Amino acid sequence: MDATARKAAPFLFALAGVAAITVLIGIVRTRYAVADLSMVYLLLVLWLGARHGVLPAVVAGVAAFVAYDYFMVPPYGTLLVQGPNELLGLVLLLAAALVTGQLAASLREASARSSAVAEEATALYELATGALRQPDVAQAIALLCERARALPSVRAFSLVAVESAAAVVAGGDPLPADTLRRAEWSFGKQTSVGGSIGVAGIELVRIASDRPQPLLLPLAAGVAVIDLDASRADRRQRRLLAALLSLGSLLLDRRMAAFQARRASDLEESDRLKAAVLSSVSHELKSPLAALRTGLTALTGEAAGLDSEHLELVQGLDREASRLDRLVGELLTMSRLESGQALELEARSFPELAGAVLDRLAPQLADRRLALHLAEDLPAVMIDELQVDRLLSNLLDNALHFSPSGGRVEVGARVEGDRLLAWVENDGPMIPAAEMASVFDKFWTGRTTGTGLGLAIARLIVERHGGEIEVRNRRSGPRFQFTLPLAAVESARR
Amino acid sequence: MSGRVLVVDDEMEIRRALRTGLGGHGFEVEAVSGGAEALAAATARKHDLVLLDLGLPDIDGFTVLTRLRERSRAPVIVLSVMADERDKVRALDLGADDYLVKPFGLDELLARIRAVLRRQASVASGDAVVRVGELAIDLGRRLVTVDGRAIHLTPTEYELLRYLAIHAGKLVTHTILLREVWGAYAVGESQNTRYVVAQIRRKLGDDPARPRFIATEPGVGYRLRVDPDPAEHPNKIHTPG
Repeated sequence: MDATARKAAPFLFALAGVAAITVLIGIVRTRYAVADLSMVYLLLVLWLGARHGVLPAVVAGVAAFVAYDYFMVPPYGTLLVQGPNELLGLVLLLAAALVTGQLAASLREASARSSAVAEEATALYELATGALRQPDVAQAIALLCERARALPSVRAFSLVAVESAAAVVAGGDPLPADTLRRAEWSFGKQTSVGGSIGVAGIELVRIASDRPQPLLLPLAAGVAVIDLDASRADRRQRRLLAALLSLGSLLLDRRMAAFQARRASDLEESDRLKAAVLSSVSHELKSPLAALRTGLTALTGEAAGLDSEHLELVQGLDREASRLDRLVGELLTMSRLESGQALELEARSFPELAGAVLDRLAPQLADRRLALHLAEDLPAVMIDELQVDRLLSNLLDNALHFSPSGGRVEVGARVEGDRLLAWVENDGPMIPAAEMASVFDKFWTGRTTGTGLGLAIARLIVERHGGEIEVRNRRSGPRFQFTLPLAAVESARR
Repeated sequence: MSGRVLVVDDEMEIRRALRTGLGGHGFEVEAVSGGAEALAAATARKHDLVLLDLGLPDIDGFTVLTRLRERSRAPVIVLSVMADERDKVRALDLGADDYLVKPFGLDELLARIRAVLRRQASVASGDAVVRVGELAIDLGRRLVTVDGRAIHLTPTEYELLRYLAIHAGKLVTHTILLREVWGAYAVGESQNTRYVVAQIRRKLGDDPARPRFIATEPGVGYRLRVDPDPAEHPNKIHTPG
């Protein structure tokens, strides 16, 4: 059956049906006295409306009106009407036929529309479950892009993922570099170009342009880039596209999560490796140093019986071994701090910690005048106490080195705003203005025996605590001062 | 000084240096290289002191420490290249008397050995009154005085101070203080010990920035100081004339 025949069929059904019913009514009326059988036509009209739409139903209604008038309404064989009763009957028949046809046809249309929507929903559901069940996100995204490209109005469709600030095509058509950059921009600004995703589907903005640009729609973890033929994009397709995009957004999210998980485990792996190397290097370097120092110091004992010249030589060697040990220790500390080893922050009393460090350095401090400005009621600080212990040790070590025997070393702290300002001061030589900025640099050292790492470590520790460290020349001598965060009041119990 | 010292270290040069160094100071040194040998030696002979390295080739050092503690009362000084406070705390919790980070000088080791042996002797003699400068803790009469003035402490404060006093000079971890003062189920909250120590210091008039009586070891615990032994610093005693 060709297309014309298929189109004509309902009308043929209409005319043939009316003819058949007219014959039927004629036969019935010769046998039984039934007043009005015109409503039988309505059954036909109803069927035509429901099955083939409004036009065949109207044709059948008019045909029924004519046939009934001609054959059943006296005077028979004419289209004339005898009286008002018959006229009313005919008009009612026509009206009923038209209304019935219309109603049936609109019901048919509604049911067709809803079954189309149901079909669409089923297809989307199948796509969604298929895509979400797909273990490989890239495969799922490809599936979705394929579905989108199958829409007649879609010329090209791509999903762009933006991971660590760089845009890559996650699925669909390949994109030129400048479009990728535009997609990146659209994602960064969360601004769509050429249209937007509305409640009822994708809404297009018409832009008069001789070189049409693809539609850019930012999603949660990427951008949809669609080359859409606006003239062919009907409501249904735009609605379907919007639904596909919300699924695409979910898939890009999943892709992002997978990407981050992979990167986190890579980082974790490299951190573990670094820690393992550090710990092994530490052991490998420290063990021979330990043997060296134990042996050298055993030789300095009276029992070894060295003369003064040899004794001095051995003591010098031990000093060098100690220095090497310190350097190894500080390099390890430095790399641990730089690799971002987490701080163990707890509320601690600064004066108590300073007291512990000073106590440990008591032998070296014995011939210095120690000035303390540490009020016992200073509020607690939120610190990693072992790191701040190291910070204070390094600053005191520096102060001890530069202050002369009998010199003055000062340690103090006071609250300034929401922080603790602490300092270590000595009465040694001023630091030249040109060097003020570089004293905290790695491997800067003002002394021959230093490692050049003590102050750099001090700065790292302060910075890891969110504080600042600086050196100032005061009239009494150089002062190293730094800030530490105060602990919240409820945990400040000492 | 004299005594039998068991040295447990897998480094031959360290064993040799310690044998020479400690031997020169009158100690009799038995040196072994592994954990199994160490446990066998500790079972076979009595030692006055054990120097134990934690990094042993055969048995984990902490395990050796635990087993040594089960069969001998000899004080143990742990020697380790690990400067991590967690290792220190763990060793002390398992009953080590002191912890020395390698590398160290022999004089430093000798000072620690003297302190440990002296402590051992004073625990053995069971002194009823522990004195640190002006502080006196009379364990028999539960009386604490500073400069002859009686100090009123709460029962918890007294118990904590008493535990530090009977282990005077030894570094006591937060874990051990919690267990000994609050009981086994109170383990884990070091804020308790910090708070009580701050109270004791305040009552004793001990400035935490210049501690005379109770010293803090950051990240580890507390130590009741001991008066310096005049015998250890003969050059610091100035006799007039």
